Amino acid sequence: MIFKLHYIVFTFIIFIIPGPVLCKDIIVCPDCEIRSVKEAISQSANGDRIIIKKGIYTENNLSIDKEIEITGEDFPVIDLEFKYQGFIIKSNNVKISGLEIRNISVNYMTDLSAIKVENSENCVIENNVITDTFFALYLANSDGCLIKNNKISCRAMSESSSGNGIHLWKCNNITIEYNETTGHRDGIYFEFVKKTTITANYSHNNLRYGLHFMFSDSNVYRENTFRENGAGVAVMYTRNIEMTDNKFEDNWGPASYGLLLKDISRSLIKRNLFYKNTTGIYMEGCEQIQVEENEFKSNGWATRILGNCMNNKFTGNNFVSNTFDVSSNSSRSENIYSGNYWDKYDGYDLDRNGTGDVSYRPVSLYSMIVDKVPESIILLRSFIVELIDATEKAMPVLIPETLIDDNPKMKMIEYD
Amino acid sequence: MNIIILSLIVLLACSKEITPIEYGKDQCEHCRMTLTDKKYGAEIITKKDKAIKFDAAECMLNYIKEKKIEENDVDKYYVINLTEPGVLIDAMNAAYLISPELRSPMGENISSFADKNTAEKYLNDHGGVIFSWDELKNKFK
Repeated sequence: MIFKLHYIVFTFIIFIIPGPVLCKDIIVCPDCEIRSVKEAISQSANGDRIIIKKGIYTENNLSIDKEIEITGEDFPVIDLEFKYQGFIIKSNNVKISGLEIRNISVNYMTDLSAIKVENSENCVIENNVITDTFFALYLANSDGCLIKNNKISCRAMSESSSGNGIHLWKCNNITIEYNETTGHRDGIYFEFVKKTTITANYSHNNLRYGLHFMFSDSNVYRENTFRENGAGVAVMYTRNIEMTDNKFEDNWGPASYGLLLKDISRSLIKRNLFYKNTTGIYMEGCEQIQVEENEFKSNGWATRILGNCMNNKFTGNNFVSNTFDVSSNSSRSENIYSGNYWDKYDGYDLDRNGTGDVSYRPVSLYSMIVDKVPESIILLRSFIVELIDATEKAMPVLIPETLIDDNPKMKMIEYD
Repeated sequence: MNIIILSLIVLLACSKEITPIEYGKDQCEHCRMTLTDKKYGAEIITKKDKAIKFDAAECMLNYIKEKKIEENDVDKYYVINLTEPGVLIDAMNAAYLISPELRSPMGENISSFADKNTAEKYLNDHGGVIFSWDELKNKFK
């Protein structure tokens, strides 16, 4: 009987366990048998794990066509010495974590990167430090990947000689969270990307945009912080975007926007903070966007809505200490404003229901003049400007008739 | 003689100069993006000598298509030569390659070249279809 039990256990081990047992760990360290990552990759088979110990490895062009995991211990350095690019992942289920990759070469014809993922599924890129990049993470034609907790920095001098921090092209179902990107052309760049979630990233001091979306429908981005980017965040030619709980801060400059929206439809912008931007939200060719419960504070223009925007709804937003709250280049407005708090509102509330009894027109005549003659900004806060604004408020003739908030709030709206 | 000099002066005064694109500073008139990729870009010089800049040939073509400018008002069209980043060439005499391997900033993958031979060289390496200016304009109608 005992013999029989042993026999069963033995068969169990042979037939059930073998998968994981056959996978091996390959150790790479400066004085090990295997001293280079490239050699380790060539010796590995599907399911293996390569563990890289602390040290500096000068390598290039590490092509991965097997389902392996590469992990670093105490952040070993993969130094590309500005010669070419780093890892190129071409198979599914690859995981790269715990590495420091640095010195990626700048090249105008090829988009060189620290880690490139091509035509793969379910890759994981986690806890890496990538410095002195051209492109850092470049995903093309890939699906279901996770990019988490990477710290990416670059010291690009000019926009044209720099690449993007996290660059996605034709990808689906990617999760990007808790990354930090700085010093690139665009911190995070999306082109033809669908069903992707971007959460809690910090993208700052990039030369152009903190985040740049193009032709990328049905994506969600929430709880990110975009700070001091050359031109803020740009979302273009896209539908069904959800932008919630993000912070857009300190994007100053002649062509800078907290959020630049161009040809966007059916999207939600909720509970974001726009603080100290030249323009908080700039909208051109936008339709059916809900702008709800956002806070616009200390911006030059809180919102600039061009005449070709229709059926957008602004409700429950706080407009505080902005130079201009709403500006438009058109005398018509097809957008709805209701229940916002405007700190410039000077109406009264006799029935004490919290809503002003007189409706409010947030566009000032002077903002329209500035829109047509930018130089007139020199008259800002002058007596003449206050005079024309007061006159126009008393007898509106030139400001958009339909751009009106019927239920302006008396107090700043509190969000929980 | 005087007439020749005078006419020369008049001619010189009329010739419209290309304004070079300042990458990292200029904004595309059509899509509002800041221009960064030196391999791509386009420019319209109007008869009033105004330069309108674009980040890619497709933006210029869409701008024309959407009639944001009357074609009668245009003096000349320019595009960037892919092989000489930052250099503008006459758009009407340029050769164009649409290849999925050469990704242009606005997703239409149009690259422009000074002559057809270079375009064909890139066609061999990257695949795609070659267009002339007129063919390309028809495509965007």
